[in-house]
Amino acid sequence: MTSQVDVMSKFQAEQDTRKARRIDRHTVSAIAVFVLCVVLILASRLVSPSLGSWQQVLTVLTLASFLVVLSFGQGLVILTGGLDLSLPAVITLGGVLTTTWIGNGPGAWYMLPFVLAICGGVGLASAIGIVWLKVPPFIMTMATSIIVSSAALGLTNGTPRGASPDVLLLLMKGSWLGIPAPVYFLVIFAVVGWIVQSRTVFGRYLYALGTNRDAARIAGVPITLVSVLPYVISAVCAGFVGMMLVGYANGATLRMGDNYMLPSIAAVVIGGSSILGGNGNFAGTVGGAILLTTVGTVIAAIGLEQGLRTIIEGGIILVALLLLREELFERLRGLSGKPRSGG
Amino acid sequence: MASLTHSTPHRMRRAQPMKLLTSGAGIVFVLYVLLYAIYASLQPSALSSSTFTNLVNNSVPLAIAAAGETLVVLSRGFDLSVAGVISLTNVLMAVYPQEGPFGALVSLAICLAVGGIVGAVNGWLVAILRLQAIAATLATMIVCQGLALVILDAPGGMVADWVSYELTDRLFGVLPISGLFVLAVVLAWLVFKRTNLGLGLYAVGADEQAASLSGISVIKVRFAAFVGAGMIYGLAGFMLSAQTATGNPNSGTPFLMLAFAAVALGGTSLSGGRGGLIGSILGAATLMLLQKVLFSGGVSSFYTGIFQGVVLVLAIVFGSAFARLTGRRTTA
Repeated sequence: MTSQVDVMSKFQAEQDTRKARRIDRHTVSAIAVFVLCVVLILASRLVSPSLGSWQQVLTVLTLASFLVVLSFGQGLVILTGGLDLSLPAVITLGGVLTTTWIGNGPGAWYMLPFVLAICGGVGLASAIGIVWLKVPPFIMTMATSIIVSSAALGLTNGTPRGASPDVLLLLMKGSWLGIPAPVYFLVIFAVVGWIVQSRTVFGRYLYALGTNRDAARIAGVPITLVSVLPYVISAVCAGFVGMMLVGYANGATLRMGDNYMLPSIAAVVIGGSSILGGNGNFAGTVGGAILLTTVGTVIAAIGLEQGLRTIIEGGIILVALLLLREELFERLRGLSGKPRSGG
Repeated sequence: MASLTHSTPHRMRRAQPMKLLTSGAGIVFVLYVLLYAIYASLQPSALSSSTFTNLVNNSVPLAIAAAGETLVVLSRGFDLSVAGVISLTNVLMAVYPQEGPFGALVSLAICLAVGGIVGAVNGWLVAILRLQAIAATLATMIVCQGLALVILDAPGGMVADWVSYELTDRLFGVLPISGLFVLAVVLAWLVFKRTNLGLGLYAVGADEQAASLSGISVIKVRFAAFVGAGMIYGLAGFMLSAQTATGNPNSGTPFLMLAFAAVALGGTSLSGGRGGLIGSILGAATLMLLQKVLFSGGVSSFYTGIFQGVVLVLAIVFGSAFARLTGRRTTA
């Protein structure tokens, strides 16, 4: 009996310090990721003089805008303790529907929202399976992913046709004051995303749900709505990324989403969120997305063969994970000698 | 405490035959038999030994990969490196073919070693350094894919003739040899399941804290699960190479989704602690059979995915509903 009490009090003590620790951990994570980006871009100058320029920074930010939008949705889903594997399929669906149904013809102003609504419907279908039929998120979104990509394949008979609507070309190819339009978009999206996740009631509900479902229910969080919405938002984001890619490349392919599955998760995790849900913030995720894109462009610019590039990419994810480990922050804190109670 | 010791043997005695039927493996076995009946009615040659051998040969790499994944999933983990290990071993087999039966043995040893090393790295990252399993194995998967691309940058190469002919053949004209490898994995699993490590696997997956408090070394169990899984992926890569007779640096990619689908279809809980390897093997076989059935039913191969997805969801929904009806606690 006494030993049980000991064990209980031990867990209690650990939980007490966690809340205090969590706040600085995420801020530190986000800052560390951004610092890593800057260091990497500056260091790339050593490799080749054409790198590390302002132009390269703009290119990285333009390319990162896809991943930032995508990992916002993925981040919300992960925050509630889920995972969305259907993103690549929905990206493709959004892109393919945009070029085949709209193309550069008229009606983009009402057809684009309609396509996004279809993508949202896919997210809703996933959510129905997860919330009401109790299928694990991992499996359910994998199933919708297989179904959606199969449907996109059948719909286009294997070869998507059509071009991009003008409005998307303007969004992705335009520029203002020498800065590409996607960079403005990225900044606005990042701020709005951060506000939604960290400064709204909905955002707080998501954290509550991801931390402790039962406690959230007792506290009056509308569980069903808050569980369903992230999947819908995530799918709409993915559909929009499909449109952005269409604007960027002026066309769609059936494999356009394939390279975004793992980065969308990696950006969230590198940004310091737990894959198990309940913590993390969008600033870190934005940093993670930019870091991953920086790594990708630097490696591509060095001109290594594909295999070595891939190895380095994997290695950098590993190093980032190792550097951002929780113990490391504890050790750093130990060095600074700040006294902590109960730790 | 007293009520526990009373109820346990009673429940087990009552539930034995019923349990077999409502377990994940039982449900997916019934599903497989039903699908095979449909297949036989669509395609009269389905009952011939050569068609069956083909089917087994097609299913074996996925079945073995899913079996490996099950080990990690049971310990409440995820292992994405399955795709990387299969690509890597496949490429090794195609670029460095070893002729003859002895050569095949050498190749097999290399595949198992490569898988084991990758598994050990995963185990080190996840069990010892406590990184998040999805993120860490994602990184090792990418590194393995990169290594595969360095060894062979485009599809090509030739797997040793002995491997590609003998391992896809039939023993005594009826028994598919590749099936024997699956059988070997199953036998190894049945033995492993009864060892301390095997019991620990379920305990850690069900409740890590309770397992650790009752004296199980969580680190050791997790590490062993990753190493074992890695070696089994190596075997899957070996069998895939026998099957395709050529190398492709991206050959492992389709296995990522399908392996998890097979595990889930086979009734293993993705939150760990419940399920088993045999269900996953049957799940993999069912997914591959479904493709054949749809093809012989005249469905365009474009739409195969729609059916695979729907079957996956239905299997899980009915599996848990059926289990609830027969009184088995799904959350246990």
